Amino acid sequence: MLNKYVLYAIGLTMSPYQTCLVEIPKLANPSNHSPPILSLKDQCWVGQFQAMASDCQVLLEGINQQRAEELLKLAAIETWRIEHKFSRYKAGNIMHQINHAYEKKVAVDNETTAILNFVDQCYQLSDGLFDVTAGVLRKIWHFDGSDNIPSDQEINNILPLIGWNKVHWKAPYIQLPNDMELDLGGIGKEYAVDKVCLLLQKRMSQIENCHILVNFGGDLACSGPRLNGEAWEVAVESYQDQKKAILKVKLSQGGIATSGDSRRFLLKEGIRYSHILNPKTGQSITNAPHAVSIAAPNCMQAGILSTMAMLQGSDAEDFLSAQEADFWVQR
Amino acid sequence: MQLNTSNPIETMTHNQIKKTPPKFKKIAPALAAASCSLLGITEAIAQENNGDWKFDVANLIYAESDSRVAATEPVFNATKTYVDGEILNVKLVFDSLTGASPNGATPSDTAQTFTRPSGNGEYTVDQDENPLDDTFRDSRGALSGNWTAPINRDWEYTLGAYGSKEFDYLSLGLNGGLKRYLNQKNTALNFGLALSADTIEPVGGKPLGLSRMAIPGSGTFDADFDASRADSSDNKSIIDALFGVTQVINANTIMQFNYGLSLSNGYLNDPYKILSVIDTTTGANYGGNYQNAGNNVYLYESRPDSRMKHTLYWQTKYALDNGDVIDGSYRFMIDDWGINSHTLDFRYRWDLGNSYLEPHLRYYMQSKADFYQRYLTSDEFTSGSIKEASSDERLSDMNAYTVGLKYGYKLSNDKEINVRAEYYMQTHSGDTGFGKLTSQDLYPDINAIIFQVGYSF
Amino acid sequence: MKLKYIGQIVCCLAIALSLSACSNLGVKPWERDTLSRPEMQLIHDPVEAGLDDHIYFSKEASSGGRGFGGGGCGCN
Repeated sequence: MLNKYVLYAIGLTMSPYQTCLVEIPKLANPSNHSPPILSLKDQCWVGQFQAMASDCQVLLEGINQQRAEELLKLAAIETWRIEHKFSRYKAGNIMHQINHAYEKKVAVDNETTAILNFVDQCYQLSDGLFDVTAGVLRKIWHFDGSDNIPSDQEINNILPLIGWNKVHWKAPYIQLPNDMELDLGGIGKEYAVDKVCLLLQKRMSQIENCHILVNFGGDLACSGPRLNGEAWEVAVESYQDQKKAILKVKLSQGGIATSGDSRRFLLKEGIRYSHILNPKTGQSITNAPHAVSIAAPNCMQAGILSTMAMLQGSDAEDFLSAQEADFWVQR
Repeated sequence: MQLNTSNPIETMTHNQIKKTPPKFKKIAPALAAASCSLLGITEAIAQENNGDWKFDVANLIYAESDSRVAATEPVFNATKTYVDGEILNVKLVFDSLTGASPNGATPSDTAQTFTRPSGNGEYTVDQDENPLDDTFRDSRGALSGNWTAPINRDWEYTLGAYGSKEFDYLSLGLNGGLKRYLNQKNTALNFGLALSADTIEPVGGKPLGLSRMAIPGSGTFDADFDASRADSSDNKSIIDALFGVTQVINANTIMQFNYGLSLSNGYLNDPYKILSVIDTTTGANYGGNYQNAGNNVYLYESRPDSRMKHTLYWQTKYALDNGDVIDGSYRFMIDDWGINSHTLDFRYRWDLGNSYLEPHLRYYMQSKADFYQRYLTSDEFTSGSIKEASSDERLSDMNAYTVGLKYGYKLSNDKEINVRAEYYMQTHSGDTGFGKLTSQDLYPDINAIIFQVGYSF
Repeated sequence: MKLKYIGQIVCCLAIALSLSACSNLGVKPWERDTLSRPEMQLIHDPVEAGLDDHIYFSKEASSGGRGFGGGGCGCN
């Protein structure tokens, strides 16, 4: 069970009594999100904005309003930059280029190189279960709560288009076989959380013992405890079947990521098919937990471990115990 | 029989009965390394100064006018801050002293010859000249270490050790402290204790207090010299206790109040200082050096063997809106030697962005020690009524002024180079003597320049 | 004479201590921006402080006040 990073359920009332909108230049807001909002709650600055289809939140303390606005701006700009650069949906970004290269080699920059090296390592470490080429499965699996499970024939047709081992990756060039595509959705949010956390932490490094917390829709990272030495308390959605409860998480170092299936599933003949798909078989993991939350030194590690735990289905707990990770599994 | 797969729980149970737990590779460490590599951070929890060393190197030059004392003092300071807030500090200091120091005798209208403290040789001072002994060429090395660590959110402790060695002096010390935070760290209560054990091995042996300085070149020199000596070495022990309060006044202001108590015991004399004996006999030599068998009489000084000091210290730091900082402090000291002193220190840090200018003013005033006297009279000498006497100018009525300017330039976020130049002046006053002595300048000013360059990285 | 001075000292100490009981003084954690700047530390440059302490210890009859930094030497 989670020991260092404790999950509680406590009531928290959000009643900001001082809010302001933070202006972001258009160029830094390619997805045209509404401006971030800064409020003061409980002796702490709360910056909020939208990104990656999630409510993003940055908690700051020990600074004045001007500084808080400046840092919130930086956080939003960096998050939107990452969102725009690595999203599968934006025309013209590097992902689009890679996915529509028609078998030609694409040169990528340092940041993308680092990410591709990372996904390569994750592929190896997970024996192929973590695979960023598995995104094509969405063409046959539609998680709308209906009972439309793809047929074995459909699955077999699409399996040849899945497999990181089929991708030619040698920095800085990546080459995808025809009709294959990369989907970084599985790590995008956690990556943004960690990058923003590090960025803000660097800016705050002048101030002794002053830390920040970043929370993008339940994927969290903090640079250290609150000024009074206590842990941060954040609200995280829990993945109770049919119920939407709010959990309060206490975090004083590192990050937390949660993988869950609350809204995306297929139900046929009483079997719940979660949206976690095995890239090697193309099948849904049927005995996946409702949610897996992991605490780790950074959000990316937590995210990979939670995804992989879900992929183990009923063996999630054993897998996580073997990793000696701090975890919490909901079934 | 149809396997009932509709109930997930039953399915799970079914699997659980069948399976033996599969072996899972431990991937967490490799994953940690991979994610850290991607994020560009070292594997430990990323904090800007996590485990980083911070170094300061500096060199100080102190030089008094008129070929008096000059010192060069290089310092090497290293501080390491750990993840959980512990701090380790190591400091290495050298100092090299040259030049002449007053030996405590009064100037005279005739030349004076003194025995060197070592007993080997002598030196002569011209008439009307302030007697300075230029024997001192000393080098000192000191090493200190300090460890500060939080006990919990409200408490912090410090432990330190110190050692210093020069040719004739060894000092070893230990210190410890406790700090308690209150009021959301707006208040800090500080308690510290330091113990020091010093050994002094004066060149030529420890002089017997108020014994007569052997006459240079006399036939009985060796015997006289030995007679003026006690042991070859002696000890001094010091206990210092400090009680302090640090208080945040507002967002721009912080203050500190300290009370300090210091107890010294043991050999507190300056073994190289003497006093002149001045003739009170009416006649031609009234106010001149008292002589015994044709030779001037000089006596080694003698101070009490214990000293208790009380110190009160108050400091305020105030930040202006433009980034400048004002620093002011006042210190009051009183001890059982009869000395009272006041120290006022003022600094203004003028922020220039990447650099700063800091003018500095210091004013110091002290009243003399009870047993301080510029000279002994022959009456006092012959009657043997004086038990303790010293003419060390550092124990006299004194005013001192320091005016300085410091300039610092930040090369990067954590690298700074700085230079400071200061002018220090001391004026003394006291009994101006009688007879012939009144025509001598018994209290010359001391003028010194202080120059320091430093580099932090 | 001595007692009078000690009395004054105790008085000052009492004022100092009572100030610490004044929890109206101080700042909220989010107002610590300025105070945490390095130049607002009470001893901003310990190397300079140590060197100055050594000079004044060698040339004057008083020492200390700020805390223990140095240690003994034969210069006084």
